[in-house]
Amino acid sequence: MATSTTPLVGLVKPFDKPLREVGSFFALSLDTFIQAARAPFFWRECLEQCWFICRVSTLPAVAQSIAFNGMVVFLFGVAAVSFGAGDTIGASSGLGTVSQIGPITTVFVLSGAAATAMCADLGARTIREEIDAMKVLGIDPVHRLVVPRVVALLITANLINGVVILAGLAADYMFAVYALNANPGAFASNLTLLTNFASVVVSFVKASLFGMLAGLIACYKGLTAGGGPQGVGNAVNETVVYTFMALLIANIIVSILTATTTLAT
Amino acid sequence: MSSNTRTVVNTRFPRLTRSGRAWAGEWNRLGEQAAFYVKTLVSIREAVTRYFGETLRVLAEMGLGVGALALIGGEVVILAVLTGSAAAVVGIFGYVQASSLGVGAIAGFFSAYANVRLQLPLIIANGLAATIGAGATAQIGAMRISEEIDALEVIGIRSIPYLASTRVLGGLLVVPPLYCATFVGSVLTTRSVVILAYHQGAGGFDHYFNTFLLPRDVIVSGLECTVQAVIVMLIHTYYGYTASGGPAGVGEAVGRAVRASIVVSITITFVLSLVLYGKSGDFHLSS
Repeated sequence: MATSTTPLVGLVKPFDKPLREVGSFFALSLDTFIQAARAPFFWRECLEQCWFICRVSTLPAVAQSIAFNGMVVFLFGVAAVSFGAGDTIGASSGLGTVSQIGPITTVFVLSGAAATAMCADLGARTIREEIDAMKVLGIDPVHRLVVPRVVALLITANLINGVVILAGLAADYMFAVYALNANPGAFASNLTLLTNFASVVVSFVKASLFGMLAGLIACYKGLTAGGGPQGVGNAVNETVVYTFMALLIANIIVSILTATTTLAT
Repeated sequence: MSSNTRTVVNTRFPRLTRSGRAWAGEWNRLGEQAAFYVKTLVSIREAVTRYFGETLRVLAEMGLGVGALALIGGEVVILAVLTGSAAAVVGIFGYVQASSLGVGAIAGFFSAYANVRLQLPLIIANGLAATIGAGATAQIGAMRISEEIDALEVIGIRSIPYLASTRVLGGLLVVPPLYCATFVGSVLTTRSVVILAYHQGAGGFDHYFNTFLLPRDVIVSGLECTVQAVIVMLIHTYYGYTASGGPAGVGEAVGRAVRASIVVSITITFVLSLVLYGKSGDFHLSS
């Protein structure tokens, strides 16, 4: 019996650890959703986390958005101007900012700045056994720590998305009008040519999804950190990589699913 | 006398002195940072001659990754995925914009310009900061708070060449092959998005792509990526080297380092592209 299963075990072995990781991540996510519906919601913790995330990520969000948008619009605007269609810059910048550049900038900021700091905080508590102490006292760390953090990221992701879109459109306007000599009135009136209400809604749905995913991954990696300070470092590093991957893939999937409503020209 | 006046000023204007001290602290920190960067860059030679083994180890760790990251292929694969997804956006956005003007065939132009000039430098710098940069900060920071760096100094190993210069050199050497891989990956992604998803002719796409792909742009953007990698590694090793305040302090240092390097790398890309390509964009679209 033992001899017959040995090769099979050897075959499954390399997939054992990643499968377990994925499984326990889903378990934590399910726990979080169930605990989120339970009665006391920790507003104070949630607000503190919101403030913390805003503090670390507003400046990079604005900087990245201005640079990204300014250059993209500049590039496409120059092409449009040489076709004699400089008036369409407004249309393209509205579409680009709301549907793609805004969410992608939000991804970078959320995973680079917010999720790392969150994971490092939770990881430090885990390796100092504060989480175990909470469990011993009968406090559920998922209910007390994870749910407020995920909700905070969900709220702030929407706020960051709004800031990113506003800063981006302002940068677009500056570049189009002052660098490319486009007509300001035409810019403003064409802004809504390719961008409809549906694409704004999709943009914020994407931001909420990104916030939730980033929060879950950061909390999972933080709570499963182990092996001293070095382990926290590794957990932070893996958080960044996994959130990048997950959020970019989520962005592509949502873009494809909603392409018919948002890209209808 | 002078200490007496200082106490009087301190008690009379507490807020003024406090903000003055904060400013002085920030100013000193800037100087400290500059001194650290110069020291790190100068000791690269020492890192190669004395700690060659460590340099090679760091280089391998950066290129191929350790632990769970090695499982999915290391830094090269991660950055290929990041730049690939950004290139898909370039394809979608470029085609939609061009076809709204009725010139969908010219999407190859956007691939040649947006990918090379904008997307690759930005995404590679961000990706480096978030992966190997954050890893370096966390590692060196953990060494700092567990007093391993002091231990290194005690046993006669110079910590700046051993920890910081090796990593900066690693960043410098890992970027050229990385750039080549991500360049090919992103160009092919944009091409397949436009051709397979939007059913454009491959010949037209390739024609415009080859016409507008300037060799100078490719070289410049490769150099830009290399410079950014050095700057990102300098910032991240500095924040790790000066981390304090226990494990939570390391986390905070990682967050601050990522924020600083994202802002700096974006500013660099922005300024460089304005300097190199000018306000008119240096396009040769129409005469």
